[in-house]
Amino acid sequence: MNYFLSNRFIENNEVLSIILVILGILIFATVLFFIMGRIYPGDKVRELQQRTKSWWVMASVFILATVVHPAISFVAFGLLSFAGLRELASISKNIRPEDRKVIIWCYLAIPVQYFLAYMGYFNLFMIFIPVIMFIWIPFVLVVRGFTVEIGKSMSVLPVQLMFTVFSISHLAYFLSLPELTGFHAGGRGLLLYVVFLTEMNDVFQFTWGKLLGRHKIIEKISPNKTWEGFVGGFLTTLVVAYFIRFLTPFTAIESLFAGAIIAFGGFIGDVIVSAIKRDIGLKDTGNLIPGHGGILDRIDSLAIAAPSFFYLVYNLYYA
Amino acid sequence: MKWLLIVFYYKLLMRPFLSILVGVKLVNSENLRQSGPVIIVSNHNSHLDTMSLMAALPFNQLLRTHPVAAADYFGGSWLKRFISRWVLNAILIKRTREAGDLSPTDQLIQFIDKGHSLILFPEGSRGEPEQIQSFQKGIGAILHRRPQVPYIPVFMSGMGRILPKGEKLLVPFDAYVVVGNSRIVQREGVLEIVDEVKQAILVQRDQYNQLNKL
Repeated sequence: MNYFLSNRFIENNEVLSIILVILGILIFATVLFFIMGRIYPGDKVRELQQRTKSWWVMASVFILATVVHPAISFVAFGLLSFAGLRELASISKNIRPEDRKVIIWCYLAIPVQYFLAYMGYFNLFMIFIPVIMFIWIPFVLVVRGFTVEIGKSMSVLPVQLMFTVFSISHLAYFLSLPELTGFHAGGRGLLLYVVFLTEMNDVFQFTWGKLLGRHKIIEKISPNKTWEGFVGGFLTTLVVAYFIRFLTPFTAIESLFAGAIIAFGGFIGDVIVSAIKRDIGLKDTGNLIPGHGGILDRIDSLAIAAPSFFYLVYNLYYA
Repeated sequence: MKWLLIVFYYKLLMRPFLSILVGVKLVNSENLRQSGPVIIVSNHNSHLDTMSLMAALPFNQLLRTHPVAAADYFGGSWLKRFISRWVLNAILIKRTREAGDLSPTDQLIQFIDKGHSLILFPEGSRGEPEQIQSFQKGIGAILHRRPQVPYIPVFMSGMGRILPKGEKLLVPFDAYVVVGNSRIVQREGVLEIVDEVKQAILVQRDQYNQLNKL
């Protein structure tokens, strides 16, 4: 058992306390929406209950990832990237039928990227997808020899790799960061910090938008997003970022800056996936039945927030 | 022995392989839960079609559910015959009949009368990816003679991209298996029944498109 659990977990008070906070929020939300559902039954409450259910799944995955042995976490994050990439490649209009075999190369990049993260080969980790795969995929496409609309595939496939594999692998790399003296929470703390803030930012933006939303921010792409929701969520995220900065080595000012980056990054990731879905006419990326697919809807905000936050903390404390 | 092989293959190998690695997603698969004999009919684009349906069945139905396959394709060598019979649980049907052979319809009805279920692909062959071809008459002939046996229409999407006809390399993509309610044929003649079954599958396709729309 000790082999599977990371041994620093129990002594790690910061990480443990934030996990308790997350569980507390989830239990509160579940009970609240259950009671609301009893008093005002309807589609809106059912949507909130559905959302809470998917938060439970997300939270369990990420909490487990910080608790179990790092090797298991790396496999779990790799599978998350894989399912995300598969979903994005499946719904994309811009991949030609001839590109089937090239997509295998994209899938093969996942274990390589996560292996580099696991071993902590930072320089190679940083350039493997944006530089090496960025050249390799177009080259393989050229070798396959179908030139009609080859430019589309050359641009779409590396972007999909960046969005689902490169970005999400930064979550895993937090677990490979070296120990800093005097900073107890470590990479696990940073991982929880960015995931918790990104997800809470989504919730805050949604809630403020429902409460006060009047002015559409980006109507053509995401009709439910309003300026009130965005600003309200942004400010609330800053407050939370400030108060849970014990998970990070940040000073007060740095934590506010980190909160701003996460809130803004989360918003960008969200609208990018919304725009892709709108192009295809999908409501949810893979959500025919609750519990299945819809991976992109879960990781869209993280895809931008995670690497942005990673490079902030890396350049401030680890470089 | 046969039970072990079939359960091992479909439930332990294929089920996790299809859902985790390949990305096959089942919609309303509880409709497959049946106590008596039933005919599962589906469009056909890939070898994965059979695998996905069999892997989605409850344990106690696995042994008495048979995919129907062409003998000239799957019965080519003793190894293929062995695998078809003992691992895939398939019934092999001869496309060209010699004197004295049972007709394919009679052969399949024998299994239904024993209380077994069938998985039929009325298009006959896998065809072009994501296209539904015209249906063969076999399904109509069986349901015409056994109108009390329910059928389950199934629509599959995306299988032809994962493993199309003539390709050896499997590429993971998301695919959907939409299972309809079991139902009894309403119409009389063979061709009418074929048409009814085809319409039922197309209804599942519409449902799939509806579910996914903005």
